[in-house]
Amino acid sequence: MRFQDAAPDARAIVYAGVQRDPLVARLAELLERATPPQSVLARAVMNGERADPDVWRTMVPACFPDERSEAILAAALEVADHGDQVRNQLRGAIVEAVTERLLRRRAASSGDVRRERRVLFDGVRSEIHPYDVTLETPGAAEAYDCKWGARGISADVLHQLDDARRHADDEEQGLVVGLVVFDTRLACDVRLDGTSAPHEGIRLITIERLGALAEGLAGAPP
Amino acid sequence: MTETVGELVAAAIEATDALGLLAEDVEDEWTFVTDLVAAQRARLGAIADRRGEESATDSAAAAVASAADETHLIADPHRAIDWLSTFPDLVAIALGEPVGG
Repeated sequence: MRFQDAAPDARAIVYAGVQRDPLVARLAELLERATPPQSVLARAVMNGERADPDVWRTMVPACFPDERSEAILAAALEVADHGDQVRNQLRGAIVEAVTERLLRRRAASSGDVRRERRVLFDGVRSEIHPYDVTLETPGAAEAYDCKWGARGISADVLHQLDDARRHADDEEQGLVVGLVVFDTRLACDVRLDGTSAPHEGIRLITIERLGALAEGLAGAPP
Repeated sequence: MTETVGELVAAAIEATDALGLLAEDVEDEWTFVTDLVAAQRARLGAIADRRGEESATDSAAAAVASAADETHLIADPHRAIDWLSTFPDLVAIALGEPVGG
């Protein structure tokens, strides 16, 4: 098993610009240590219609007054101020950036956490899509796909993750595979219950327990 | 007049159902949408079963009303799917319940 940078295609080049948007880094830093209600606030605002911050302060009173909540609200409103296409790109990039930041807290070396990487196995055709974030600790690697919502969990994604896990097992290599979903466990469970694709060996990290990425995955069972 | 938790939850279930009807327009996601609506109704119903008679705080009533108002502004069925998972959590947080149930 080995990791390799994905060859950048046109989509990746455009998306790299989205990933570099300072708003993405700003929200990722705020969400890295957000409470679950603060994460729900961020998700709601980035999904929302109204731009008046007082509306959101009223809607999630448990988060206010609080400095981090105010910063999350301001940044999330900036995301929501974009059209749907850019908003969707920013939201996806934010989930990836939060994942990267959380994994870095557990990585032995900052270079162990990488983005847009393929996992290659001897005698196995290369996968089409790279993994969003990888933790490439020798002997204990992890590969994650990141999703804004449960709806992003597709059979293709599940098959790719499960295939990688099984191929790693065949090579007697340790590889944890997982989905980081900025949505509730309930929504993800409903999504997974409706698919016949394999998911038993795939870790699921949801909005209630994003911190599990930094703390170890005991709190994020398959 | 002070509202009860049960009354707030009933309003939340009504808003959840409306979101579900809108989200069903995404034909490929019909099963997911209907299953998610059912799961969220059950979750909210469980809160009402436990605390339905309890008087809600003014801030909880305002929070649920504001969240329901936001759902009424959603016109895009794809965005309605996103709100089907988010809205019940806003209601739960307003009522002092944990995120995710």
